[in-house]
Amino acid sequence: MLLKNLLEHIGLEPGRLHFSWISSAEAAKFVEVANEVNQVVEELGPARFLVKRKARVA
Amino acid sequence: MTAYRVYSKEEWTSAVKALESHYQVFVPVKDGDFHLFGLLSEGKRPDFDFQNTHLSPKSIVYPQSERMFEYSLDGEDPDAHMLKEAPKDFSPRAIVGIRPCDALAFQRVRVNFDTPRYRDPWWVSRFESTTFVGLGCNAPEATCFCTSVGGGPFSEAGLDVLLYDLGDRFLAKVLTSKGDGLLKKALGGMEADGTLVRQAESLALKVTEAMPAVVPVDGLKDKSVLELFEAPFWEDVAFGCINCGTCTYLCPTCWCFDIQDEVLGKSGDRIRNWDSCMFPLFTLHGSGHNPRGGKVARVRQRFMHKLKYYLDKYNEGVQCSGCGRCVRSCPANIDIRQVAELMNSL
Amino acid sequence: MLHYTEKIREIAGRLLKQGVVDVFIGYRKGSVPMMNNPLLIRDPGSTDLLYWDSNCALNLCNYLTGRKDRIGIVATGCVSRNIVTHIVENQISRSQLYVVGIPCTGMISHRAVIRAVGGREIIEFEEQGERFLVRGRDFEEIFEKNDFLQSNCAVCRYPNPVLYDEMLGERVPGYEGDDVYRDVEKVEQMSSEDRRGFFSRMISRCIRCYACRDACPLCYCPTCFVDESRPQWVGKSIDPVDTMTFHLLRAFHCAGRCTDCGACERACPMGIPVRQFTKKLNKDVQELFSWEAGLGLEQRPPLDVYRQDDYDGFIR
Repeated sequence: MLLKNLLEHIGLEPGRLHFSWISSAEAAKFVEVANEVNQVVEELGPARFLVKRKARVA
Repeated sequence: MTAYRVYSKEEWTSAVKALESHYQVFVPVKDGDFHLFGLLSEGKRPDFDFQNTHLSPKSIVYPQSERMFEYSLDGEDPDAHMLKEAPKDFSPRAIVGIRPCDALAFQRVRVNFDTPRYRDPWWVSRFESTTFVGLGCNAPEATCFCTSVGGGPFSEAGLDVLLYDLGDRFLAKVLTSKGDGLLKKALGGMEADGTLVRQAESLALKVTEAMPAVVPVDGLKDKSVLELFEAPFWEDVAFGCINCGTCTYLCPTCWCFDIQDEVLGKSGDRIRNWDSCMFPLFTLHGSGHNPRGGKVARVRQRFMHKLKYYLDKYNEGVQCSGCGRCVRSCPANIDIRQVAELMNSL
Repeated sequence: MLHYTEKIREIAGRLLKQGVVDVFIGYRKGSVPMMNNPLLIRDPGSTDLLYWDSNCALNLCNYLTGRKDRIGIVATGCVSRNIVTHIVENQISRSQLYVVGIPCTGMISHRAVIRAVGGREIIEFEEQGERFLVRGRDFEEIFEKNDFLQSNCAVCRYPNPVLYDEMLGERVPGYEGDDVYRDVEKVEQMSSEDRRGFFSRMISRCIRCYACRDACPLCYCPTCFVDESRPQWVGKSIDPVDTMTFHLLRAFHCAGRCTDCGACERACPMGIPVRQFTKKLNKDVQELFSWEAGLGLEQRPPLDVYRQDDYDGFIR
């Protein structure tokens, strides 16, 4: 929670970071959560924050 | 005969502006609490009413992070695994308003990057494409000690033009043909008469005399390296040090760097970054052994390099220009002036 | 707080002479105004070097890590809380320490003072009770100390040492306002994008000197993640993403441990308000776990323990 809050505080879009606890016996929950994460992240589009591409240096 | 030109302060600002079509012009600008060197073309307003810039201008010639080479790791690429020099900008640049200590610093650093055997192509090319327009110091700070290390508030070493601030105008003294070329591209101004020149000379004399050499470095040359190395005071000197890179990164004469490869997918960059003798990784061997594993050894290294090894190796003074930045900004108040005194009087 | 100097010298002399401690850690008067130099003495004859005023803002607990000897140390409220944290985290043992407690009326922000005199050079600083005087070549100003406190000191709730062997004076009142986290709340109210801009601009000046890390008593790892090379966790260049990654991780390593002593911000040569990262964590730790670091030796830090009622609303 602390990490999620801090990341979102410094500008990570809400919805980018997800946590869940899924037992190996909970296949249905796994599918549900994966689909949900997929949908939310897709709506947000490609991540830009804290993603390093080619170094921005001289 | 030396040429002098005089500019009213307004004239000088437009003269500097006119340089923009010929140079990348770096000027002191007020940025929050500090003055820093900034590019005029980025809409920065020059402010020549400053003591010294918080960061030294060394990054103009020697960027903190610099892409050296690019390469491809793609097996399909015929040029795979070949280092190609990254595109570089060596177009003419001018640092207008550099203090004499910082100009001297470039000279002290030059012996490392520009030697008969090795030439660092990027440092040298940028250095050579730079015209240094100095601004004499009418009011050196209490932490300044340029006169102790071979410089002076109106020292001409390493400068192409030296400006004297005469209150309502600047007197520009041409020191090199490079400087002459720059002033010819600057608009306005007129030839200065002897009275102004004498006024400038007496100002320089007065300020310089009021700044006696107080930091003793005269005895360092004859001291034994080993005795200094094993001197009893290092532990006390180093105690307060937190081993951050403030002193090295603010220092105009610290030149050490690290080289890193950064790979993204199938393409890579070889990047050179400033490094600091204060950091443990600086000396960490591949074996895991660190010859300077502790703080005391690292602090000693910084001062020994500046005040002894450099002096012994090049015989061109100490590796310090007396700008006082480390003295002013060290969070733990480690003061190179006191360390020099300890070393000098061992 | 100048008047503590004499008492500190006296106590240090006594402790060293009687062999109660092997070394004494305090401050020496700095060579430039408003900067003092952390000092360790062994010789009872050199206690005159010790000094105390409102510019002793590095955290002396930072100098305890790894020591095996018996140490006398001067501690304000926040320093004592860091000592507690050090003990709780097994970095030093209580029996090694003799803590000389200082009821602290706050440290002066040297940057605020320089700003107040228009950036002119200050050559002399003199503390006069709750006021102080600064002198330059052609000016002299007297300021009220309370108007120039470091921003962490201005809202400090624990100015008195929480752990000590000897106290140097009467306890002083702590801050009682309910707006300790007002600065964090202001940022919280911004849009996500504005916050990203706020923090990116803030660290754009960072020169990666790591003074914030090095000034922090919590940063005692034998090898910091920044100094790891096999594997390397973060890029070394001044690429903005690398710089942000450094600040994010540095702050997160302080989660539930930070006492908001302000040493990081004090040390930053570029004047970056790096506490904006750690203070958000402090606020959250207080809200989620009712925890403030370093207040007692008995309690384990929140990230050290599992409780059934730990907040888990973020887990799906």
